[in-house]
Amino acid sequence: MAISRRRFFEELAAVGGLSLAVAGMEALGFGFASAQTAPPVLTGKGKGVKVVILGAGLAGMTAAYELTKAGYVCQVIEARGFAGGRCQTARKGFSHTDLIGNTQVCDFDEGQYINIGPWRIPYNHRSTLHYTKLFGVMLESFVNDNDASYLYSEKGTGPLAGKPVRKGALATDARGQAAELLAKAVGKGGLDTGLTIEDRDRFVAYLVNQGRLDPKTLAYGPNEERGYDIAHGAGLDPGPGRLSTPYPLADILHTDAWKSLLPLGDHEQQLTMLQPVGGMDHVAKAFESRVGRMIRYDAEVQKIAQDEGGVEVVYSVKGGAPTSIKGDYCLCTIPLSVLRGIDVAVSPAFKTAMADVAYAPVNKIGLQMKRRFWEEDHFIYGGHVYTDQSAINVISLPSSGWQGQKGVLLGYYAFGADAARISAKSPKDRAAFAVAAGQKIFPEYAENFETAFSMSWHLAKYNLGGWAEWSDEGRATAYPVLCKPDGRLYLAGEHMSYLGGWQAGAIESAWQQIGAIHARVNAA
Amino acid sequence: MILRNAILAAGLVAVSNSTPAQDAPLDGKAEFLANCSACHQAQGTGIKGAFPALAGDAFVDGDAPAAAWVVLNGRGGMPAFRSDLSDGQIAAALSYVRSAWGNAAPPVTAAVVAAVRAKEPAARAAGLQAH
Repeated sequence: MAISRRRFFEELAAVGGLSLAVAGMEALGFGFASAQTAPPVLTGKGKGVKVVILGAGLAGMTAAYELTKAGYVCQVIEARGFAGGRCQTARKGFSHTDLIGNTQVCDFDEGQYINIGPWRIPYNHRSTLHYTKLFGVMLESFVNDNDASYLYSEKGTGPLAGKPVRKGALATDARGQAAELLAKAVGKGGLDTGLTIEDRDRFVAYLVNQGRLDPKTLAYGPNEERGYDIAHGAGLDPGPGRLSTPYPLADILHTDAWKSLLPLGDHEQQLTMLQPVGGMDHVAKAFESRVGRMIRYDAEVQKIAQDEGGVEVVYSVKGGAPTSIKGDYCLCTIPLSVLRGIDVAVSPAFKTAMADVAYAPVNKIGLQMKRRFWEEDHFIYGGHVYTDQSAINVISLPSSGWQGQKGVLLGYYAFGADAARISAKSPKDRAAFAVAAGQKIFPEYAENFETAFSMSWHLAKYNLGGWAEWSDEGRATAYPVLCKPDGRLYLAGEHMSYLGGWQAGAIESAWQQIGAIHARVNAA
Repeated sequence: MILRNAILAAGLVAVSNSTPAQDAPLDGKAEFLANCSACHQAQGTGIKGAFPALAGDAFVDGDAPAAAWVVLNGRGGMPAFRSDLSDGQIAAALSYVRSAWGNAAPPVTAAVVAAVRAKEPAARAAGLQAH
């Protein structure tokens, strides 16, 4: 019994805590937070209502946690032997077998890890941060941008192509020389700015300030932001030191490295982000310690049936005889890429909509290094090395364990066709590919490489992709269909949000759907 | 592709109209193994429930432009190869698939792929974004 969209929204609004206050916030210009900041307040009836939750990822565990508090009876069916969904951290002993049949057992040293799924939390994902605070998950800074880090482009031309350049130096030079050209043109009245004479002077002053220009000549030159060839210091030698020489504008334009000067264009990406101390899976474990008793592990869903009276889910534990569980409602957080292969009793329109979304092939690899040469030899503490080497994209340096002996860095983070291509290699060859790419940037790379752990999410049996990728058309047609329940089946997960691929999307989607279930229970 | 990678590296939405170089090697089997076999498997068997088999598949053995369209633009969980492979590479890979493992369809020419590519590109996902 599907309810009308209008009724759905009316009921939604009746659920006080469903954070519709956010709409008011946005009207006031404070629209910086993710859509919801707190779980729905589930007051009223609910006691004893049985909800079968499919998937013990963040969406499923959020729902189990909140519904149970309100008196609902929840059973969570999880295909893997552990909870967390994509919120996984590979550390010593962690094992993964992909669909090709490659089995990897992580053999990093104690204390070393790589977040193979989510790895950084933006400040505006207040839903994720709601639970890290509530559960006491300790957070630390995640360095998401670092001017000392390198850009390495081999696709352009000129003296800077195929050479690692410090991001801050290139950025300062590019900005300064653009400001110089503009300031000189405006100063000469060479641009029709529409500004008054007085404002034109102020505009030139702004450019001088932004571009570190000489106020008299409007020229850009060596400066402290760009940095030193010989750092300033004590006494007479080095004394004032010697400033470094800017890259000529033409050299900057000819390399493609300038295209990576805007790494933080995304709403979710900030200079400083957050990560749990010791690995992202501490978020999953914090949920699991609270709802683990409701989780049936190693249970693969085979069939989801429903009628007017309730739902029935058939599952098999480790390939054993099918077992069935009944409930009043089902909240399904299984990725659509996987759900498409399961026998689900839904309307033809719902089924068509389920087929309409793509899932992103996504690769990550952690490389354990004997020595933190990026810190010791290159003075780079965290952040990303951006590169246009195909199927690498980025090498990310750890934001923890500063000045320790060893470290695990992210050797590639690649998507789409690039990811599909590299994932065809054996884990050993994937590592060799990543190490060869890193060697072009850091001469110490290959000699320090010890061991790797790689993940290809499209080859993970219960994920079949890193995250859902909605086309504009899919958002307009299929997505709204799936946001509504089909009978007694509700979908939740990052795929049912505009925060695709983020943990906040999973959490907020769960909040929204349990709010809808609760409204329906209370309207009945 | 250059722009696409740079933008990907930048964590931004990837959009590209560039076409890779046309002077790539045209070994269809090699192109297939490098670009397609992770999912569809080296023997074209796919993985049940996850990735479709290409061996004995009516679609890949059928209309060549339709098959080329899927490789160029992606479908379901399959990525778009528009920015990554040249017309020649796609034609070679498709021709291999259409002749291997008992498949017996005529080869696909680079011109066929180019004609499909030149048509209005499909409205693909908003893009691949770093998280």
